Amino acid sequence: MSPQERAEELTQLRRMRAVSLLEGSTLLLLLLVAVPLKHLAGVSVATHIMGPIHGLAFLAYLWMLIQTVSGGGWSRSETTRLVVAALIPFGAFVNERALARRQAMLGGSG
Amino acid sequence: MDYLWLKALHVAAVLVWIGGLLVVAVAIAALSLSKEAAERPDRTAVFAVRRWDRHVTSPAMLLVWGAGLSLAMLGGWFRSPWLIIKLVFVLLLTVLHGFLSGTLRKLGRSDEPPASFGLRHAPLLIVISVAAIVVLVVVKPV
Repeated sequence: MSPQERAEELTQLRRMRAVSLLEGSTLLLLLLVAVPLKHLAGVSVATHIMGPIHGLAFLAYLWMLIQTVSGGGWSRSETTRLVVAALIPFGAFVNERALARRQAMLGGSG
Repeated sequence: MDYLWLKALHVAAVLVWIGGLLVVAVAIAALSLSKEAAERPDRTAVFAVRRWDRHVTSPAMLLVWGAGLSLAMLGGWFRSPWLIIKLVFVLLLTVLHGFLSGTLRKLGRSDEPPASFGLRHAPLLIVISVAAIVVLVVVKPV
């Protein structure tokens, strides 16, 4: 892998990690803030805002995952693990750690 | 008024997205057709397509989804069968975009082999999907 290719790979991993964190954080906000507000305080505006935001973040996350994996360099088992974790709640945080490890392996700082 | 502005934004984003998606698909088809490295398109051109995809086409796709889902909510379209069928096609295009975008990244590297045969048909698949989407939205047959 040339230095330019390594730099590109690191950028892709950094971007993928950021989207993973965004997906996980919006789910946390939705489940820990918006949903309790709706059911305990009768305030539904938070779910109306956070619901679509999380939906878009999830879509962006899945899209980035497809793009990252089809970019090559991932084994079949790594790909399966990333996709399975993407589909379970808070799996984005698990994937973020896996991406961070790969980033460290390639020589990029967190 | 807001609905029409949102609709205009959605249509503009769709045009940019599909245009960019076709560029990526045709670039990959060209790369997969050339067996010898010397026949392959200039790497600078591939780099330019990838840059456009990253900075313009991909954000346009997110805008398409954001504006489109807002329109569906505002207009109360979620119970209409045509929208559900349309969403299947849009999902297909979204997944295809992610796959093509990643593949182009892979092909940008000198040591990677050309794309598989199936990817050569991606431009046709995109055109057929877009035609189906337009018929569903304009004619609303179901």
